[in-house]
Amino acid sequence: MELDAAQNPNPDPPISAYYQTRAEHHAVVSSDWLAHAAAAAASFPDAGAGADAAPPPSPGSNGGGVIEEFNFWRRKPEAAEAVAAIMALAAVIRSSRATTMMELEIELKKASDKLKSWDATSISLSAACDLFMRFVTRTSHLEHEKFDAAKSRLIERGEKFGEISLKARKTIAMLSQDFISDGCTMLVHGYSRVVLEILKLAASNRKLFRVLCTEGRPDRTGLRMSNELAALGIPVKVLIDSAVAYSMDEVDMVFVGADGVVESGGIINMMGTYQIALVANSMNKPVYVAAESYKFARLYPLDQKDMTPAHRPIDFGVPIPAGVEVETSARDYTPPQYLTLLLTDLGVLTPSVVSDELIQLYL
Amino acid sequence: MPDVQPLVSEFVLKLKRRKVEGSHAVARQTAELLRSVVSQHRMGSTNQAAALADAIRSVGEQLISANPIVGNIVRRVLHIIKEEDISSTAVGIEGLSVTVDSDDEYDSGNDDHPTLSAAVLASHARNALRAPSLQTLLDDIPVSTALSRSASSTGDSDGKTAGDKSLKTRKLKHDVIAAIGDLIEEIDTCYDQISEQAVELIHQNEVILTLGRSRTVKEFLYAAKEKKRSFRVFVAEGSPRYQGHVLAKELVEKGVQTTVITDSAIFAMISRVNMVIVGAHAIMANGGVIAPVGMNMVALAAQKHAVPFVVVAGSHKLCPLYPHNPEVLLNELKSPSDLLDFGEFSNCMNFSTQDGTPLLNVVNPTFDYVPPKLVSLFVTDTGGHSPSYMYRLISEYYSADDLVVQRKSTS
Repeated sequence: MELDAAQNPNPDPPISAYYQTRAEHHAVVSSDWLAHAAAAAASFPDAGAGADAAPPPSPGSNGGGVIEEFNFWRRKPEAAEAVAAIMALAAVIRSSRATTMMELEIELKKASDKLKSWDATSISLSAACDLFMRFVTRTSHLEHEKFDAAKSRLIERGEKFGEISLKARKTIAMLSQDFISDGCTMLVHGYSRVVLEILKLAASNRKLFRVLCTEGRPDRTGLRMSNELAALGIPVKVLIDSAVAYSMDEVDMVFVGADGVVESGGIINMMGTYQIALVANSMNKPVYVAAESYKFARLYPLDQKDMTPAHRPIDFGVPIPAGVEVETSARDYTPPQYLTLLLTDLGVLTPSVVSDELIQLYL
Repeated sequence: MPDVQPLVSEFVLKLKRRKVEGSHAVARQTAELLRSVVSQHRMGSTNQAAALADAIRSVGEQLISANPIVGNIVRRVLHIIKEEDISSTAVGIEGLSVTVDSDDEYDSGNDDHPTLSAAVLASHARNALRAPSLQTLLDDIPVSTALSRSASSTGDSDGKTAGDKSLKTRKLKHDVIAAIGDLIEEIDTCYDQISEQAVELIHQNEVILTLGRSRTVKEFLYAAKEKKRSFRVFVAEGSPRYQGHVLAKELVEKGVQTTVITDSAIFAMISRVNMVIVGAHAIMANGGVIAPVGMNMVALAAQKHAVPFVVVAGSHKLCPLYPHNPEVLLNELKSPSDLLDFGEFSNCMNFSTQDGTPLLNVVNPTFDYVPPKLVSLFVTDTGGHSPSYMYRLISEYYSADDLVVQRKSTS
C-alpha cells in the first residue's frame, strides 16, 4: 500500500481490533479504509476473520477455541463485545472435561486471560470476563449442589447473558425517558446502541425533540446514527466535530454512550467525547452517559495517555507528507467532574457510585 | 376502607391550606395517618403485602400532590411493608430447611426452575431487598415467584390450621405498625441526633451565617451554645416572610450574639463569615437541595469566597427523585400579597383592556434549587455525608419501583 508508506514513516502501530469491529459494524466506510484495515488485519496473528458464515468449531482444546468462538459472536452487529466474551466463556465450560469446580475455574481463568490478551484495548471485554469469573467463583461457594447441576447452571446463565444485555438496554431506555422533555434539543456523539434505544423509545412515546449529531470522524459513525434517527422520524442535524462549541448554546443536554466506565466514575469513549464534555460543562449543559453496568471496569486512568493505546487508521483523503505524524488514537477519557449522571441498568447514578459498586463486587 | 377516608380528606385539606406548617409536623402527621390506615386495613389471607401496599398507594396519591416530604414518608412506608414481608418469608424459608424434601415434591412438577436449596432462596430473598447491583447481575431467579411458590408450598405442607395463617396475617400487620412507630420516633428524635454533631462542626470564635428560620438549625446552634462554644451568628431575614427575625430573637434569648442582615447584604457580608449553616426542605437523590427561596444565592456567594456550605436536615427529607423530574421542578407560588399589598396593587390594573388584566405581575416562589456541587456537607441524623454519598441512603430507605406512587390496578 503506497498510501501506507506515504502516511507514516513509523511502522504501523497495532490497529485496535475493538474499534475495527465497531467501524465495520457501524461506520460509513470507504473502500480505501477497508483495504487499509484488511492489510492491517492480515498482519494480526489471531484474527480468524474467515470464520464468518461457518458456525464456530466446537472447541476441542481450550486455547485457540475460545478465540474462534469469541470471533464468531463478535461479528454479529447487535451483540455487545461483553456478550460475545461471555458466550465464549460459556462455551469453554460446556466443552470442559473438568470434574471439580476448582479445575473448571482454572480452565476458565486461562481462557479469560487468553481473550484479554488477544485484544488488550477492549474494556468491556475484560470487564465482562472479570464479571463472569466473579460470578463463577461466587456461585460455586454458594450452592452445595452436585457439580453437574452447577455446571449446567453456569452455562445457562452465561448463554442468557445476551438477554440480560438487551434487557439492560431496555431498562436504561425506560429510566431515561424522564430526562427527555418536549421541545428539547440534544447532542449525541458516536454511534451508541444504548442511546439509539433511548431515542427510539422516546420517539415511540411521541415526545417532540431534536437531535444534533456529530459527524464522528474518522469512521463517520455519526452519519450512520443520523440515518437511523431520520428513519425514526426524529429531526436530525449533522455537525462536523468542530462545530460542537458553535452549536452548544442551542443544546439542552448531551447524550453519549461509553466503551467503558472507569473506577473514578469517568468514561472512556470514542475520541471527541472529552472535548464535548468540556464544552458542555463550560456552558452549564448536563452530560448524561448511558452505559450498561457490565462496562464498569477496574481501571483508574490519571490522564489521557494512561490507558492501553488503541489506534485505528485515519483516511484524510489526501496523502500526508512524509515526516508528518498523525494522532491515531481512537478513544479518550472523560473525567467524572464533567459528567452529570450515569444512566445504567442499576438505576440513575452519580459518577461516585461506580467505585462503590466495583468495591462491593470485587473486594 | 371507608372509615379512613374522612381522616385522609381532612389531612389533604389541611396540607392544601397550609394549616400544617414545618417539615417536622408534616412528616409526623403523615406517618401517623398512614399508621392508622394500616391498622384499620382488613387483611385478606393471600397476597397481604401487595394489598396493604395498594391501600397505602391510594392514600399516598391523594397526599403527594401537596408536598414532597409527604411523598417521602409514603415511599418509606411502602418500603417498610416490602421489607417486613420479605424478611418474614425469608425467616420462614430458613426455618423450613429441615423439610426441604417435602418442598421438592411440589417442585418436581415445574421443570423450568431447577430445585434450589433453601439457603439459596433465603439469600435471594435478602438480595431482593437491596437495589440491583453488579453482584446480582448474572443471577436470574425471579425472586417473587420463587418466594411465593415456596411460601405457598409452605402453607400447603403446614396446611395445619387456619389459625396458623391468621397468625401470619396478624404478624405482618403488627410488624408494619411497629416499624412505622419506629419511623415516627426517628422523625421526632432527628433534632437531637443532628445537634450532637454541632460540637464537632462549630469551634471557638466562629462566625456563622444562616438564612430564614429552620428549626433544625436552631436546635443545632442551641446545642453548640450549651457546650460553651463562643460564636456569632449573622441571620439573613429571609424575605418575604421575615422568619429570620423570629430566629434572631430566639437566639438572643439563649445568649448568642446575633446580627440581622437583609438578603441583599449576603454577598457583602460573606467574606466575614466562617461557615454557612442552613436547613433544607428536601434533599434530592443527586445531592441537590430544595430550600427556601434565596438559598441558591447564599450558596453561590459562599462558593465565591470559599466558605463551607453546610446543610442540616433529618433523613426523612431525603427524596429519591432527581431534579429534572417535573413533579419536583414545579415550584410552589405563594400569594403575591406577601410582597405588595392589594391596595397598592390595584393602581396597576389596566382598565383600558377588556378584562382589566394587570400590567404588573408579582411572583412569589417558595423554593430554590441548590446544585450538589455548591454543598460542602450534609449533616443528617445518620452522621455527616458528602453530597455524592446521598444516593446510598436512598437505597436503604426506599425501593426503586416506588418512585411513582400510583395505585396498581387490582385485576
